[in-house]
Formats: sequence, structure tokens, C-alpha cells
Amino acid sequence: MVRNPAHDARNAAILRAIALGLWALVLLRSCVDGRLDLLLRRSFHPLVALSGVVLLLLALLQARWAFGSAAEAPSGRPPQTRPPKTGPPKTGPLAAAPRATASQDELPARSRRLNPAERRDGWTALATALLAALLLALPPNPSFADLAAQRPPDEGSAGELSFVLPPAQRSLTDWVRLLRSQPDPALFDGDPVRISGFVLPMPNQPPQLARLLVRCCLADATPVGLPVRWPAGRPAPEADQWLAIEGRMALEPGPSGASLVVVPSTVRSIARPRYPLEP
Amino acid sequence: MLAALPIPSALALPLALALPLAIAPPLAQALPQALALPLAQELPLAQELPLALIVPAELNATRLATGWAIFQGLLIEALPFLLLGVVIAAAARWLAPDGRWLRRLPSGPLLGPLSGAALGFALPACECGNVPVARRLLAGGAPLGAALGFLFAAPVLNPIVLASTAAAFPDKLWLLLCRPLGAVVVAVGLALLLALLPERELLQSDLLEERWLRQPLAAVSLLERRSGLVGAMPEPALPPATLVRPSLEELLRHTSREFLSLALMLVLGCLVATLVQLWVPRSWLLAVGGAPTLSILALMLLALVVSVCSSVDAFLALSFAAQVTPGALLAFLLLGPVIDLKLLGLLSLLFRPRGLLLTTGGAALLVLLIGQWINLWQL
Repeated sequence: MVRNPAHDARNAAILRAIALGLWALVLLRSCVDGRLDLLLRRSFHPLVALSGVVLLLLALLQARWAFGSAAEAPSGRPPQTRPPKTGPPKTGPLAAAPRATASQDELPARSRRLNPAERRDGWTALATALLAALLLALPPNPSFADLAAQRPPDEGSAGELSFVLPPAQRSLTDWVRLLRSQPDPALFDGDPVRISGFVLPMPNQPPQLARLLVRCCLADATPVGLPVRWPAGRPAPEADQWLAIEGRMALEPGPSGASLVVVPSTVRSIARPRYPLEP
Repeated sequence: MLAALPIPSALALPLALALPLAIAPPLAQALPQALALPLAQELPLAQELPLALIVPAELNATRLATGWAIFQGLLIEALPFLLLGVVIAAAARWLAPDGRWLRRLPSGPLLGPLSGAALGFALPACECGNVPVARRLLAGGAPLGAALGFLFAAPVLNPIVLASTAAAFPDKLWLLLCRPLGAVVVAVGLALLLALLPERELLQSDLLEERWLRQPLAAVSLLERRSGLVGAMPEPALPPATLVRPSLEELLRHTSREFLSLALMLVLGCLVATLVQLWVPRSWLLAVGGAPTLSILALMLLALVVSVCSSVDAFLALSFAAQVTPGALLAFLLLGPVIDLKLLGLLSLLFRPRGLLLTTGGAALLVLLIGQWINLWQL
């Protein structure tokens, strides 16, 4: 049976439109369902949204042309969108847009079948559509504690310090940066603390309260943490659990001198915050 | 519709790699309470060892769920840059369909790569966005050296990357000078190295066919062009080749196909990068931070694995800059924009395996030498 090249071309265009539409959906939905907050630094979010819009436009145009072509060529006659031009048959996935757009009626019957490049394009569109569907169906659910256990702690410079903030308004990251820039812990002994973070198990130490710093995406996340003197007589908190702690900074003697530790007065279990990653 | 289409072998690997990650999230949602966390809590060592060391990685559903998130993060961050590159390539195709201005770029062994590198200032994108543009340069008939110079140097020589490096290391003047200079040296070195290979052994066949179409007959024979009276063109004789401006429909169709093909390769690269990240703790690579040569090699490996975008890699480097030698720091910032696991798939659409191997080996050697020189100078 001779294949109808017009239908094949239309089907390929529909498949491309579906694939592009699904990728657009992945990006746009990620912007609204909070997925991006879990994966990317916030400065990248507008770029992702813009890309989603562009992909959606591409998908709509592809679909319009695909169905427009079908309407113009209902009897299987291929659409002639361009005057005949010459050029070699393209064979690769990135081959230029088909330049051999001479009417298929002019071509011998043996060429009225999908060439390898068109076949590969069809499979590429199908594979990417399936991958996009997979991304849509399976939202990310990372374990921050597991990720942090794989990474060395952040040793970056102090960055923007919140010296002007009252101690109780400093975030966990502010505290870590402040303590790194001011190595004398006695300066902060007794300061009130109100921080939140996830529980990060530590080798040979009690778990810390931690946050992940992200420059780009989760792949480059590095942890920062504060040691906590957990209430005695209670089970240690579970890894990955999000907690809000209120208390005070206290000096604790150690093998390499005194260091600061958070002494909680209240420990509350909280849901993962909307923006769990810090810049 | 697709029943008659055979599955190309190129798709088998990404699909096979995707499968374990596809089943990971539901497992991760169902199993942590039943497997990973209770196990960690019941063992007496639970307070002393991180979860990653207690539960074998192969059985750790939590690890797989984390990997799925890392994969999504890498992919979603890279897709906009890829799209930007594809759009710029499409615009170039629209504005200069015959690629005449591309062929006017200098072709000298030194001037070619330098002119290509200078084009980077016009494209503020990371390495993912550069691949489709470099492909358009090659397909449009630009001199090989200029296209390669752009491909390898532009991810560093662009305003955003230079600004982010300056923001991350305002007090390291040597780094602000050495990063762009080093990128140019690496780009020129790689362009010279890859020029030793004949184009047919370096570039993928479909790219080569498109490239040869734009080159004068004095340089490429009819047989190689597969056009005219000699060659593989089976169809009846058609009018002579005229490279006219494509219609909007053709242009967008081509852009869509290019984006999807590159996205598939990007997915493959992100999968490999994620799997390596999951199974190789980063602390292992940073453990040799003080040793002059080992630290450079370790940071080069880290750059390959992390696969982070060149516009933000300086901020990542900031987090471990104090732990490593200056040469290692520069090596991290030079190698990542040229080659990493995420890029391998994309570059495989440009280069044949031999070209890819030569690029990887050549870049590693050049960066190692630059890093050593910096360590001798700075230490």
C-alpha cells in the first residue's frame, strides 16, 4: 500500500505540536504549581515562564498549519506551500526544513514514503512528548536531607549580611553568614533566635537545622546549618522534617574552642515553606 | 501513524535510563516511611551517620526521588537557554538564508577562532544556547575555526557570564582576567586541534551535507554535495539550487524540529549528570582540594559532573573557592562551559564520536595546563 505523504506530513506536524504543547505545559505548570520554587533559583522563574509561552505559540502554529494543510488537501494531495526548489534529501534530525518541497506528485512513487529523517523526527517528537508527559505526571519530591548529605557545606563569602536586622529577624542563612564573618562567638551569646529549616542528620553529631543555598538549580545546592541543642529526653527529630525554632544562642565548649549552638525554647513542626531554597 | 516507524537506537538509551527515574517518585512517596526512614531510626548509628551512608544507594527510594528532582531542575533550567539558542539560529536563517555573511568570517587559524569567540558578546546565553547557534554557523558555511571558536569561547565571553564572575569574585582580579583569556586560549587550541581532522571525520553527516551546500564548488565536489548531475539525488532534475529565504511556516517547522531534537539530547545529558551526581558524593572530589595537580583534576571532574550553566557557575565556585587551589578554581570555570555531561548529548549532534573525544581530551589537557600554570604563579 502506498503511503500518503500528505497525511504523513500532517501527522508528523500534529505530533510535533503535541510535543511542543506538552513541553510548554511543563514549563507553564511548573511556574504556577510551585514546582519551580522547589527546583530553581527565583531569578530564573520569569525566563521559564517566557519560554513556556514561546513554546505554546510554536505548538499552536504547528497545529494550525497541520489542520490547515489537512483541510486544503482532503483527498491526499499534498499541500504545496512553496514553489519547487532543489536540494538534497536531508537525513539528520537537524536537517534543514525540507527544501525539496516540490510537489510530491512530481516525484516517483518510490519516493512517496517517509524518508529516514522524517521517521526520526516522528520518533523524536514522540519520545519528547512522552518525556514531557512523564514530567507532568511525576512532580519532584526531593529529600533535602539526602541531598545535603551528599554535598559539602557551603563555604562561600558572607554575601549580603543582615547586620541591621534585629537578631530575632535573622534567617538561618543570615545567622550562618554572620557567624562566618564574625568568628568571635561570644558576641552573639544570648541573642534571641527565630529560625526555620529542615533537619539534617550529621555524622558523629546531633542533627542540625539546615537550609539549601542554590545559585542556579537543585543540582548545585549546598547546605548551610546551625547546631541545635535538642531537648533532652525527647526523640531526635526525623531527617527532612521542617521545624520552626525559637530560642537563644548559647556558647558551648568544644575541642576547638567555644562555639555557638541554638538552644530552643519552642520547637514547632511546620510544612515545607513555599520558597524552601535560599539564594 | 507510528506503527511503521522503527525505534532508532539513539532513543533506546534515553528511554532505558528514563525508566528507573520514572518509577522512582511513586516509590519514593510510598517507601520512605516503610524502608528508608524506619531503617535509619532503628539502627543505633542513625544519629551518627547520614542517611545516604546507612541505606544502600541501590535500595534507597529517597535517593531516587531526589535524583528525579535534580534531573528536573537541570532540565527546566537549561530549556529556556536551549530555546533561546534555537530562536537565534532561526533568526539567523531567516535574515541570512544563504549564509553569505557567515562565509565572510575570517578563516585563518588564529583569526577565525578569535572572530568566532568575539561573536559571543552578541549572545548572552550559556553553553546550551550556543550549540544550536554554532550549528547554524557550521551549516551556513562559516569557516570551521570561527564556528568552533564561537562554540567553545562564547559561553564565557558574554556579558552575563563576565558580570556574574565579577559579582562572585570582586576581589580576585587575576580570575576576572584569566577566565576570559583562558577561554580564548582553550577555544583557539581546540579549533586548531579539531582542524587536524578532515571535516567528514569531524562533523555529523547531516550537518556536513547542509554545510557543503553553502560552500563553493571549488571547495566541495558535486559528489560530496550530493547535488547537480552527479551524486545521490534520485529525483528528476529540478531547478538549480537557490538558497532563498524560507517561508514562516518552513522556518517554524524547522525550529520546532530542531528544538525537539536538541531537547531529547539535553534530556539524555541531564540524566547522565543526575545519575553521576547521585552516586558520587561531591565531598570526594573536594577532598583533594589542597594538592596542586589533584585539585585541578578533581575540580575538572566536578565541572563535568555538576553540568551547571556557565552564567551561574562562578557563584557555585564561590562556595568552595576557599577549599581549593587557584588553578583548580580556574579549571572549574574554564572546563564546564566547554564540555560537561549535560552538553555531551547536544555536542553529539555536531561532532562524530572521534571529534567528541578529541574535544573532551583536548579541552581537559589545555585546562589542566592552564590550571598548573596558575598554581605555579599564584601558590
